[in-house]
Amino acid sequence: MNSTRSLRLPPQMGQPTTTAAMMADVMVALLPSLAMAVFFFGFRVLILTAVSIGSCLLFEYLYRRLTGQPDTLRDLSACVTGLLLALSLPATAAYLIPVLGAAFAIVVVKQFYGGLGKNFMNPALAGRMLLATFPVLMTNWSKPLDRLSLWEVDAVSAATPLSYLHTGSLPPQGLDQLFLGLQGGCLGEVSSLMLLLGGLYLVMRRVISIRIPASYLGTAALLALAFVPEGVSAGSWVAAQLLSGSLIFGAFFFATDPTTSPVTPRGQIMFGVGCGALTMLLRFFSSYPEGVGWAILTMNCCVWLLDRAGLPRRFGAGRFSVLREYLSRARLSLAEIHFIKPDLHFSLIKEGKMPGEAHLDQIRTQAKALLHLGAVLLATVLVIFGVHRFTDLDTARAEAKQQQQLLAQVMPQAAFSSETPYRASGALSIQAGYSADNELVGYCIEVQAQGFSGAVTMEVGVDLDGKVTGVAVTDHKETSGVGTEAMTPAALHRYVGKSGTIRSSGSNSVDAVSGATATSQAITAGVNRALAIVATLDQEGGDVDYVDGEV
Amino acid sequence: MRHFFFGGVNPAPHKESTRRKPIARMEHQPKQVVIPLVMSTGEAAIPAVKPGERVAIGQPIAVGRGLGVSAHASVSGRVLAIEERPHPWGGVCSAILLENDGRNTPWPGRPEPLDPTQVTRELLLARVREAGITGMGGAAFSTAEKLSQAAGKVDTLIVNAAECEPYITADHRLLLERSDKILQGAQTLARALGAQRAVLVTEGDKLNAAEAVERRLRKRSGKVELCTIGTRYPLGAEKQIIQTVTGREVPPGGSPLDVKCVVLNVATVFAIQECLFRGKALTHRTVTVTGGAVSRPRNLWVPIGTPLRCLVEEAGGLREKADLILTGGPMMGTPQHDLEAPVVKSTNGLICLTQYERRQPAPESVCIRCGKCVAACPMHLAPAFISQAVRQGELHKLPRLHPQDCMECGCCSYICPAGIPLLELVRQAGELMEKGGQRQ
Repeated sequence: MNSTRSLRLPPQMGQPTTTAAMMADVMVALLPSLAMAVFFFGFRVLILTAVSIGSCLLFEYLYRRLTGQPDTLRDLSACVTGLLLALSLPATAAYLIPVLGAAFAIVVVKQFYGGLGKNFMNPALAGRMLLATFPVLMTNWSKPLDRLSLWEVDAVSAATPLSYLHTGSLPPQGLDQLFLGLQGGCLGEVSSLMLLLGGLYLVMRRVISIRIPASYLGTAALLALAFVPEGVSAGSWVAAQLLSGSLIFGAFFFATDPTTSPVTPRGQIMFGVGCGALTMLLRFFSSYPEGVGWAILTMNCCVWLLDRAGLPRRFGAGRFSVLREYLSRARLSLAEIHFIKPDLHFSLIKEGKMPGEAHLDQIRTQAKALLHLGAVLLATVLVIFGVHRFTDLDTARAEAKQQQQLLAQVMPQAAFSSETPYRASGALSIQAGYSADNELVGYCIEVQAQGFSGAVTMEVGVDLDGKVTGVAVTDHKETSGVGTEAMTPAALHRYVGKSGTIRSSGSNSVDAVSGATATSQAITAGVNRALAIVATLDQEGGDVDYVDGEV
Repeated sequence: MRHFFFGGVNPAPHKESTRRKPIARMEHQPKQVVIPLVMSTGEAAIPAVKPGERVAIGQPIAVGRGLGVSAHASVSGRVLAIEERPHPWGGVCSAILLENDGRNTPWPGRPEPLDPTQVTRELLLARVREAGITGMGGAAFSTAEKLSQAAGKVDTLIVNAAECEPYITADHRLLLERSDKILQGAQTLARALGAQRAVLVTEGDKLNAAEAVERRLRKRSGKVELCTIGTRYPLGAEKQIIQTVTGREVPPGGSPLDVKCVVLNVATVFAIQECLFRGKALTHRTVTVTGGAVSRPRNLWVPIGTPLRCLVEEAGGLREKADLILTGGPMMGTPQHDLEAPVVKSTNGLICLTQYERRQPAPESVCIRCGKCVAACPMHLAPAFISQAVRQGELHKLPRLHPQDCMECGCCSYICPAGIPLLELVRQAGELMEKGGQRQ
C-alpha cells in the first residue's frame, strides 16, 4: 500500500515496431537494389530471387514441421535471408545454386542453432560464402546492361573493379559509373546509389542504427587512405575502394543483422571498426580481391566478446570505474604472489627440526615439481628425437640432394628433373630434365652395361638434339685404380657433345682409356644405348627399339 | 556546454487534444470528497476531526507524522465518516469523507501570507510541512522532508516542467498560466535553500510556455535559468533531468543530494508559492482528463479528494467504452478499476484509453538481439542480457548487470519489437539481487 511501484503496469503505449515489421522494412529497403539488378542483368534476376526466397521459406517450413516446432514463416526472417542470398549471387548463377545456399543458410546456420535470434552467423552471408567456395559457380561476373536470357547463360565475363584495385590500379570505370552501378559484381552490390537509398531508409525508420555502417565505412575509408598506392590520387582511390565490391551492401545489410551483431551501442561501434579493418586487410594482403564476407563472418564470431566489452558504463559510476576496479583487482592478485625468503636462522634445533629444515622442505616440494617438469621435458625430447631419427627425414633429404648433384653432373643446364611415363628396354629409368623456366631440356637415362668385373650403372644426359650432355657412373664393381681410371670426370667429360653411335676409333669416337679398356667400352656401350633410347623416344610409351651397335 | 542523457524513447505525444485548453474550475462541484489518510510515501496521517464536524477549505483534518503529510479539507462542509475507501494506488485505505456544502468558505485560521523578503529557511520548512505538500509529479515524497534534507547542501535547484509522459498537459498549462508565481516560488526556494542556480527545465513541445516564462524573466530581477530541451521520454525522471542540466550523474543507490541537486516538480513549486505568499494549504491541483474515450478532454483545477468519476463526468463522460483507465501517464501510470477512487496529491492526469489506443497484448516472440532496449535504457542497463539471465536462471551473471539500478521508466518494454516484458523481468532481477544480498 505504501509503495506505488508494485502496481505499475508496463507502458500502455505503443510497441512502435514489431519483428515482422522490421523484417518487412529490410525487404523494402532492398527493393531499389533489386530493381537496379533487374535493369542491369535482365529478368533472370527475378527468377533467381524467387527461387531463393521460395527455397528459404520451404526449408524453414520443413525444418520447423519435421522437428515439431511452431511455424515461424510469419516473422518474415526467412524471406529476408532469401532476398539477401539472391542479391549476393552473380547474375549468371544457375537456378539450383540458391537452393543449395538456402539449405545451408536456413537449416545449418539458422535452425540448427535454434532459429531466429540464436544463430551466431548471418545465415544469408554464410550461405553465400559456402557457395563462393565453388569458384566455378560464383566468379562468372557478367557485364551490366548485358541482359541475360532466362534459360541460356552465355555471358561475357567481366572483370570486377576489385580485381583492378587488387593489383593497385584504379578500375577503368569512372567514379560516377561505379556509384550508379556500371560494374561487374553480385546482383545487389553493384549500385551504391540504390544501396545507400535503402540504408538511409532503414536508418530513418530506426530499423538499424547508424553506428555499425558508419564505423564500418569510416574505418575502411581511413585504412584505404593509409594504403594508397603510388601514382593514384588518394581521393579517387578511397572512393573507388568504398564504391566497388560489396562494401556498402555488407555495411548496411549484412553487418547490421540484429542477431549477429552486438547488442550494446559501444559493442556495435567496435564491431563496425573490426569489420572495416578486417575487410581492408583482406583486400590488401590476401589472395582474394574481396574481403567483406569473411570479415563480417569473422566479426560475427566475436560478438559475444564485443557484447561484454561494450556493456554500458553503470549510471553514475564514473568514466573509468570499470578499468580502475579491474586494475585494483589485478594489483590485489599480484600482491598474492610471495617470493620465498630463505628462513635461515642459525640457532640450534627448533621444534625438533634442524636449522633451515623448514626452508628445505619448501625447496624439496619445488624441486620435486621441477623434477617432474624436467622428466616430462626429457621424455618429450626423446620422443621428438626418436621420431626424427627413425622417420628418415635426413635420409630422404640426402637422397634428394644426391639426385640434384647427379643431375648437375649429367645435365648442367637443367634445374630439376622429373619422372616420365616412358619405358624402354635396357633403360632402368628415364627422367626428363627441365630448365628453371620449366622448359624441357633433355632426358636422363639410367642404363647398365657389362664392365670388367660386373655391371656398371650409369646415368647419361641427352639433350633434345640427341647430344650427350654428361655422363655419371652411379654404381660399379670395377677394380679401384685400374677400372676406375675410365670413370674420372675428365674421362667421362669426353663423351659430352657426342651424338649418334659412338665408336672406339675413327670418326665420332671416344678412345678407350689405356688399362681400363673393358670399363671404357662398357661406358661407351651404355652411352650408345642411352642415345638410341632417346632417338626413338618419339614413339611415346611404346617399346623403344635398341640395336646393340658395333663396338 | 550542453549535456545529454543517454537513451530514451519518443512515444507519440497525444497532447494536441488538451494543450490549448486553459485550466478550468469544475462546473459541477463534487457532492462528496474522499481524502485518503495516505497521500505520500510514508505513514498514514492521524485524523484530527470527528464525523459530523464542520470544516472549511484549507482546514487541517489529519496530522502527518514521520514521512507522511497532513491532509486538509479541500471543500467546505461536514465530515461524513472516516472509513475504508478505494485508493488510486490500489487497494483500500481509510479516508475522511467530506460532504460539500458548495459555499467554498475559506478556513479562518489559515496562516498569514508572508512577504517575499522575510522568508527564512526555518519558516519555509515550517510552512511547507504545515501545508502538507508532497511531490506532485508522481513520486509523492514529502516535500518538507526533501527540503529539510537539501537545505544548505545543494548548489542547483531544478524545477521540473518537462512532463515527458504522453497525453498529460497539466504542468504545461500551469507553467503557461502561472509562470510569474512559479518563477517567484523558484527564486524564493533557491534563496532559502542556498542554491546558486535555479533552473527551470521544460521541453520543446511547450514552446508557448517557455516563451511566457522568458517574457516574465526579462521583467524580473532575480535569476532563474530557463532550459528548453528536445522532447524525449524520460527527461522528467529525476536522475536524467539532473544529468541533462548539470552533467552530473547520481551515483548508484544515491540520491540527488550526492550531486548537490534538488529537483522539484513545477506544480510543487506552485503549491509552495501559494502556501508561502497566500497562506493556502495544498487543497487543489491541476489534473488533465484526456484519452480517446473521453468526450471533452480538458485540464481541470480540482479539489483533492474528488472521485475520478466526477472528473470523467466533468469532461463530458465517456463517448465509447474505455479499455483502460489510468492515473498518471501511459508509460508509468497506475491502472484504475474503481472510479470511486479519489484524486490524490500526486495525480496529474486521468487517461481513458480506448481499445484502439492501448497497446494490444501481442504474443511474445523471440529476442532477435536488436539492441533497441540497450540503446533506449537511460540508466545504462542492458535489459536484453538481464532478461536472458533471469529466464535461464543464470543468477551469477546479474551482479555485473546491476539490475537494481532500474527506475522502471518502461523504455525497454515500450521499444521491444518482440514484445518481451522486459520491465517485469528487470524488476524481477532487481528483487532477486536484493534477496541474494540479504542472504549473504
